[in-house]
Amino acid sequence: MGPLVRLGNAAGTAAIATILLIAFGLQFGLKELPCPLCNLQRVAFVLCGFGFLLNLRFGVQPLHYGLTLLGALFGLVASGFQALQYVAPGTAAHGAPVLGLHLYTWSLILFFAVIAGVAALMIFSGRSEHHSSDHQAALRFRGVYRLAAYLLIAATLANAANSFLLCGPVECSDNPTSYWISKYLPS
Amino acid sequence: MTGLIFLAAAIAMMTALAGYRGVSIGLFGVSAVAAVLWLDRYMTEPLKLSF
Repeated sequence: MGPLVRLGNAAGTAAIATILLIAFGLQFGLKELPCPLCNLQRVAFVLCGFGFLLNLRFGVQPLHYGLTLLGALFGLVASGFQALQYVAPGTAAHGAPVLGLHLYTWSLILFFAVIAGVAALMIFSGRSEHHSSDHQAALRFRGVYRLAAYLLIAATLANAANSFLLCGPVECSDNPTSYWISKYLPS
Repeated sequence: MTGLIFLAAAIAMMTALAGYRGVSIGLFGVSAVAAVLWLDRYMTEPLKLSF
């Protein structure tokens, strides 16, 4: 089961990176700037991906899955709170729906999917790999595993830049209409 | 602030790739705690759940 579980973790890492990149695509495609809660849901996806990445680099361990679950729980609170804000009839929802659902609803579904995915990976993981040396783990960390990790890091760094350009170093407005950096650019 | 949280998470991932597991998990903890505190800051609106 080892290679299959490692492949599952690589798929999880790549899936999280893809979600972040799709969110970027929608941000620029629909010209909708992310609200602070939307940005925090992206943070939650990054926190989920971190556990998968640790499994790829250091071998599969329960601690790493625990970190992914903590990220998913954080995301469930953020997206669940936002979904509940607009659940009452007549309340104006934030942003345009994508495939019939708003992005925070998609996030809610995806965080449940992450928890289900981690449960499946843990069931098939069997023994943890902490007995293998770091050297062995480092040797196995190549090819598609390394590519998935780099993709997640690139997506995270892109989000860091995007967040800084949108909100500046500290506070973000509740419903941003323009980038913070645009105040300092010549028109 | 969210940008800094993303940055801390990205540095945590890079230190993990470099082989420093303890440091990377510590940085993950810092970014996770900062994210929770920042979420608490934005969860201020009362929910209108009765209709």
